[in-house]
Amino acid sequence: MIEDDVRAAFAQHEALTPPTGPVRAAIDRLAAVRRRRRQRLRAGGVALALFGVLGVGIPQLTPDRAAEDAAMLNEPVPPAPAGALNVLLLGLDATSDQRPPLADSVLLVHIPADRSRPFLVSLPRDLQVAIPGHGRDKLNAAFAYGSRSDPPDLARGYDLTRRTVAELTGVRVDAGVVLTYPALRRLTDTVDGVEVCLPREIRSIHTSRVFPAGCQRLGGAASVDLLRQRRGLPEGGLDRDRNAQLFAAGLVRRAAEQGVLTNPVRLSELLRAGGADLVVDDGGLPLLDLVRVLPQLKSVDPVGLSLPVKPLDGARWVRPDPTATPEFLAALREDRLAQWAAQHPGRVNRTR
Amino acid sequence: MLVTYEEFADSRLAALLRYAVMLTGDPHQAQDLVQETMVRVQLNWRRVARADSPERYVRRMLTNQYVDWRRGSWMRRVLLRGEPDEAVPAPADHAQHAVDRDQVWSWLARLPRRQRATLVLRYYEDLPDAEIAEILGCAVGTVRSSISRALTTLRTEYAEACS
Repeated sequence: MIEDDVRAAFAQHEALTPPTGPVRAAIDRLAAVRRRRRQRLRAGGVALALFGVLGVGIPQLTPDRAAEDAAMLNEPVPPAPAGALNVLLLGLDATSDQRPPLADSVLLVHIPADRSRPFLVSLPRDLQVAIPGHGRDKLNAAFAYGSRSDPPDLARGYDLTRRTVAELTGVRVDAGVVLTYPALRRLTDTVDGVEVCLPREIRSIHTSRVFPAGCQRLGGAASVDLLRQRRGLPEGGLDRDRNAQLFAAGLVRRAAEQGVLTNPVRLSELLRAGGADLVVDDGGLPLLDLVRVLPQLKSVDPVGLSLPVKPLDGARWVRPDPTATPEFLAALREDRLAQWAAQHPGRVNRTR
Repeated sequence: MLVTYEEFADSRLAALLRYAVMLTGDPHQAQDLVQETMVRVQLNWRRVARADSPERYVRRMLTNQYVDWRRGSWMRRVLLRGEPDEAVPAPADHAQHAVDRDQVWSWLARLPRRQRATLVLRYYEDLPDAEIAEILGCAVGTVRSSISRALTTLRTEYAEACS
């Protein structure tokens, strides 16, 4: 029987097996080398977040787990991203331990296939949307529904928000970053503050701080204070989204000025500044692919856009603008945002 | 129960090396294959430990690395080193059978890698087809047809050698 011969051939050649000792030592040596190399790659994750927007603390970074497993197992993975990319950024208001966190800033960073420049698309927190499994509610509630557990599960909060955004917009979300205020504050301080130019004066309702109209350099604490302001602004959450875009653009410019995106020393400083909140998941090949996109960008100056919305009955909720939104989303899906922005200059937010 | 990387290597490294020898047919290639896989295992241990069976997960990593030599770099490195070392003869038992088995061993080397992997998993590791399918990431039917094709090839070689 041939099967028996195969069995016997295997058994007989067991003697070829090398001893484990030297192999074990070689593995440890190679792993140490690669671990050092990976420190540098991890810093690249920070660059992504920076570039990404409110950029910077990454308490939870959630690349596609299936793709990661595929990479680990050496199975076919999607090729390095060539086309348009969409990165979902959630700014988390987790100031209170009592209630589940709400995602107060929901921003889609669109990187066009021509790599001309990033587009920041704000999705209002008060937008009425269908949340999978939870009926219609405000967009910022998706994170709370998803993360509902003790302690809150940020990964699941992110996931439900991602699905909600994907259903709303019809775009594929390639990666996601969840940001908290403390990490944001530390990292803003690490780049020595960010310059923002406000169209009008803003008085903080949380502190006694007054942000005058015009340009100013904000440190970490002041930046967080500004980004928390919503009540008292003429258009509430929509105005806050515009402030977040101003801040994001300022932060990216600041990082680019200081060469943070290309300087490993500066990057590792930022990495340390992220502290305990900064968790980059292991083996995140898809994330590294995203970081490789950075140098391809012709300009890091973002174009700020918002999903076109109309007020819904009560003042607090908004709904998609039935005439403008479909056209906008089609442009987003088909990677034509530059053209759309040129046709609708009134809908482009100032980012300087 | 979660094990540490150290515990895993202590208990499984020898078995993985034997498995790699059966796949590659060569101790040096086997060593490179195991090294390359285990470095990634060590660096990503948390993910590996989360798997239902870390052992099976690692075996799957190693098998894919072996089957998919174009993407991995290990085979290229090995090939640059030259021909597989032939100076390590397998110990012989009965003279008559030893000839046959060495011949079977050399025929195995000519099989497509996936087919050889299925033979190793069934006739060396004695795994059930369902588990083989899981390791190779394919359907059970594919495993069976792959084994049957490999055996047919070997039988043909056999017939030619005996004629």
